[in-house]
Amino acid sequence: MNVVVCHELTKQYGRSKAIQNMTFQIAENKITGLIGRNGAGKTTLLKIIAGYLHHSAGDIQVFSENPFNNLKVAANTIFIDNEMSFSQGLTLKELLETAGSFYPNWNHDLAMKLFDYFSFNPNQYHGNLSKGMKSTFNMIVGLAARCPLTIMDEPTSGMDSATRKDFYRALLKEYIAYPRTIILSSHLLDEVEDLLEEVLLIKSGEKCLHLSIDQLKEYAIGVRGKTVNVEKWTEKMEPISVQEIGANMSYAVIRNDRSIKELEDARQLGLEVTPVSAEDICSYLTSKTKGGIDHVFSRG
Amino acid sequence: MYLAEVKAWDIVKKQYRYKLKSYFGVFTSLIVIQMLAILFSFNGTGSGSGSSNSIQYDFYYYTSDIILIFMMIWAFITAIIITTRAYRYDDFSFVTNRAISVVSNILFLLSASIFAGITVYLSTHLFQILAFYFKDNYSIIVDSLTVTEFVMGMITSILYIFLFASAGYLVGILIQLHKGFLLIIPTILFGGLILDGIGGDSRVIVNVTMFFGEETSFILFICKIVIVSSFLLLTSLGISNRMEVRK
Repeated sequence: MNVVVCHELTKQYGRSKAIQNMTFQIAENKITGLIGRNGAGKTTLLKIIAGYLHHSAGDIQVFSENPFNNLKVAANTIFIDNEMSFSQGLTLKELLETAGSFYPNWNHDLAMKLFDYFSFNPNQYHGNLSKGMKSTFNMIVGLAARCPLTIMDEPTSGMDSATRKDFYRALLKEYIAYPRTIILSSHLLDEVEDLLEEVLLIKSGEKCLHLSIDQLKEYAIGVRGKTVNVEKWTEKMEPISVQEIGANMSYAVIRNDRSIKELEDARQLGLEVTPVSAEDICSYLTSKTKGGIDHVFSRG
Repeated sequence: MYLAEVKAWDIVKKQYRYKLKSYFGVFTSLIVIQMLAILFSFNGTGSGSGSSNSIQYDFYYYTSDIILIFMMIWAFITAIIITTRAYRYDDFSFVTNRAISVVSNILFLLSASIFAGITVYLSTHLFQILAFYFKDNYSIIVDSLTVTEFVMGMITSILYIFLFASAGYLVGILIQLHKGFLLIIPTILFGGLILDGIGGDSRVIVNVTMFFGEETSFILFICKIVIVSSFLLLTSLGISNRMEVRK
């Protein structure tokens, strides 16, 4: 069963399109990573899924219903981000209790254990927490709510590295014990790739790729060698990215769909063929120009 | 994981309970404002003097008018405050939709109005007693009310306060819909006052007040307020149903 189904989804703010013609499905009980550069439309997409924003065109179904202003979707979805706002009139402990009364699957035991583990003061107020502590608290709410659809928009922003690791571990353990559909947005794929089953890569509001993490890891290869040879070899291909890496040396990233003969040719030209990490593939695919940042600084 | 089915009314109740707890500051401000109002009422809300032959007398009225007016303004402002972004977003951190959010806000405003209406009555007595002790009055005449009059008085206070809360809520929602209303609404309000002033015979504002104030039948008065309040609140509901949260 697909939990989220989007068809030609478009969201417009005035004239600019934040989301353009996106079509994808997210299957039940999978951890999907939503990856994209800053301003690619990750947050907008997640807010549409969570029912906070209207879509402008196309169709979106969450649990087979339109999520906007929908109580069923609201009760079964939790949207965690660092803008989450909690009442200033309630202490952290009271907030957890209130959350417990709202979410039918809420596990208060887990919430309290995590709360103690991260050494929160139960009598503190949400507004007085530091940025990382806020993210941690929101994450506790997100995990303990056990919503069938859990959406986390850059949940680790502001957390220190130890807390991040704890968070990913807690997320994984919770997921294994109580499988649910999780959408995790991040621009640090490196950090989350062990966690993800699928990756939805978006680039300036459009879907770029939707693959399983294993497919993504094998999506592209890199070749390194003399610029002339690299150019010669990639002549008939469409490289995803070409970079100069020093004197007369180049590094090109291409789709991993070459024949054995072609790879043999590469070796004969003295090119070194290497795998490309998922993180790098994503940043090459989503970079706006083929040359990357070096282009900005290159003269002539 | 199975999908939870929730009943709208259950969520309204939960949101309402949550609001009673988390908007507690509203009640603190109510008490402060009432104390201020008592202070302002201390010199009497009306006074007069007269003399005949060898007698000269001054008289003062001690009524709850000022307290009630302060409470009406308080309700208006409170209603605006709970439509602001921070308060709206709070609802959406937990389960809700727009209609539930508005309905639970209305229930909250209604409870706050009832609370305010009762305290208006109580604080009137407080300040009458204070006036009795601290002012050197020679004689005090107290209107003794029958139970019906007392109940009617209290219901009227509550309804007036709720009317202002409903108006405030619509104003707040309109401002949330478009910041332009921040300019338009005061312009209309003060424009009306100025027009009244220029024309010499005040029409606009007076007509509005008279619509409620001149009603002699209690039942009709209740109907008028209920109808106008519902109109204001339903409009708010209609508008907020289309609003996006957390842009």
